[in-house]
Amino acid sequence: MDFQSCVNIKKEWDIVGARQLGRDIAKKVGFGNVDQARIATAISELARNIYLYAGSGKVCFDAIDELNEKGLRIVAIDEGPGIQDVSQVMEDGFSTSGGLGAGLPGVKRLMDEFDVISRQGEGTEIKVVKWLR
Amino acid sequence: MSTLKLDLQTYKDLMKQYIETQNEQALYNAEQFSKHSIQQNISPDEIINVHFQALMELYPDVPDDIRNSMNFLLETMISYGLAYQEYQALREKQLELQSELSVAAKMQQTLLSTVKPEYNQLDVGATSHPAKQMNGDYYHFVEDQEGSLGIAIADVIGKGVPAALCMSMIKYSMDSFPEKRMEPSIVLEGMNRVVERNVDPSMFITMFYGLYDTKDNRFFYSSAGHEPGFYYSAKEDTFKDIEAEGLVLGVDRDTSYKQFEQQVDPGDMIVLLTDGVTECRSGDDFIEREEIAEVIRHYKHLPAQEITDQVYSHFERLQDFQLRDDFTLVILRREV
Amino acid sequence: MNLTIDVEHNGAEKIVSLSGEIDAYTAPKLKETLLPLTQESEATVIVDLQQITYMDSTGLGVFISALKSTKEYNNTLKLVNLQDRVYRLFKITGLTEIIAIETDSTVRGGM
Repeated sequence: MDFQSCVNIKKEWDIVGARQLGRDIAKKVGFGNVDQARIATAISELARNIYLYAGSGKVCFDAIDELNEKGLRIVAIDEGPGIQDVSQVMEDGFSTSGGLGAGLPGVKRLMDEFDVISRQGEGTEIKVVKWLR
Repeated sequence: MSTLKLDLQTYKDLMKQYIETQNEQALYNAEQFSKHSIQQNISPDEIINVHFQALMELYPDVPDDIRNSMNFLLETMISYGLAYQEYQALREKQLELQSELSVAAKMQQTLLSTVKPEYNQLDVGATSHPAKQMNGDYYHFVEDQEGSLGIAIADVIGKGVPAALCMSMIKYSMDSFPEKRMEPSIVLEGMNRVVERNVDPSMFITMFYGLYDTKDNRFFYSSAGHEPGFYYSAKEDTFKDIEAEGLVLGVDRDTSYKQFEQQVDPGDMIVLLTDGVTECRSGDDFIEREEIAEVIRHYKHLPAQEITDQVYSHFERLQDFQLRDDFTLVILRREV
Repeated sequence: MNLTIDVEHNGAEKIVSLSGEIDAYTAPKLKETLLPLTQESEATVIVDLQQITYMDSTGLGVFISALKSTKEYNNTLKLVNLQDRVYRLFKITGLTEIIAIETDSTVRGGM
């Protein structure tokens, strides 16, 4: 089974929707309670970033079911202003100093794979993967 | 994963032991377990999860409500776990920065090291202590070909790394002056142009430059807004301020500096300092300049180097060993 | 240790009243308020330091930047009512020669 579903993020309420869909898929893939909680937290961070900094965008989920590996891929896409300095945003203590949350370094810690592509004025795409072990 | 399994087993055993006996030994073991977990960088949410799993294994019939409440707690703790990991990462980074800074501080010490000159008729003492690791004060001795001794003392606004970087610039510019007799006013005019070109508008440096002519014991000096030093007259047993008004370096590139002259008699002392000395605070009160003169007078029977060391110890103690600003003191005394 | 900054706009005249201490912690705040004022067109910036009990060299740095920017924009900067300890800092550093400093006590005129 290989499918993809997306949740549009426009309102704060949509963050909850993204968490719910992500958790359902994570459960189906076979993740335990802790990993479900971690994935949900990562989704919150990604969706909140879109809501706060881009205004709108979407979070997509993709269950990975290959021969010897299973997992969940999450892609957060927006057409916002983009991240000026990705290295700076990835530094611990940069985004959290304002008390906004775990920020992107937190997402990176919660997941196994992490990739950001950001173009100024065009938007940002963040791709993360959690593997089932 | 295997270590976590091991920990789950341990945790389960400890918990079981406590539930059965409720004794202090089991609680002490729990303390050991948490210390061990911290060492292994295990975050709080993982402990909750271990507790949850141990509970399920010991009591498979735990009601759904309790089970759900445990899940709720787990979800709540995830962000704490992240914050904990971030704290760990920042702590490591801080240690890294600290060791980098101490390497830089050592480099600076080497860079700013100056040889204290030896003369028969002149006793020289100097001491400089940074408030933080890096020093924004500077002093330097230059012996020229005609047997005169040049003394530079400077203070960069602020302290720490930015001040230290600025100080290195002063050091290099001073080194590039020709070896022949350095007239204080000309040295300061040159340094002023260097600073004006190279530093931010809100940054400035105060500097005093003196030239001691060892042949006829005359002292020439100019000041670029530097805290006035003291001149001690042995004959009169008095301290007076070495007044030499001049604008700080780096404000106006066309500043010219007045040069002053002082005949130095046997036993007389020239005391140069930075405002780290005069800005010493004891409690909420400032140290008055007269107090500094009194402390120097108290130790004046000692060799110049010991006087500077004793004065430093005195004010260090007065400030509870926490310097608020870089502290530099230089004393020259004409021997009898 | 705190610094309170009050700005009164009186046409082209900007009166900045300060109270407290100017040191490495409070100087950035002062700079943020003072510099934009010195860049307004045809401004006369008057800084009242009567309530300043302590100032260190970082504070002098702020007034030097303010002076430079005032000159750049052809404006005027004036410091008034300095306490002795604060005045001494300006005096030692030679800044009394290049910054307009007015004190109501005539005693200082002779210094």
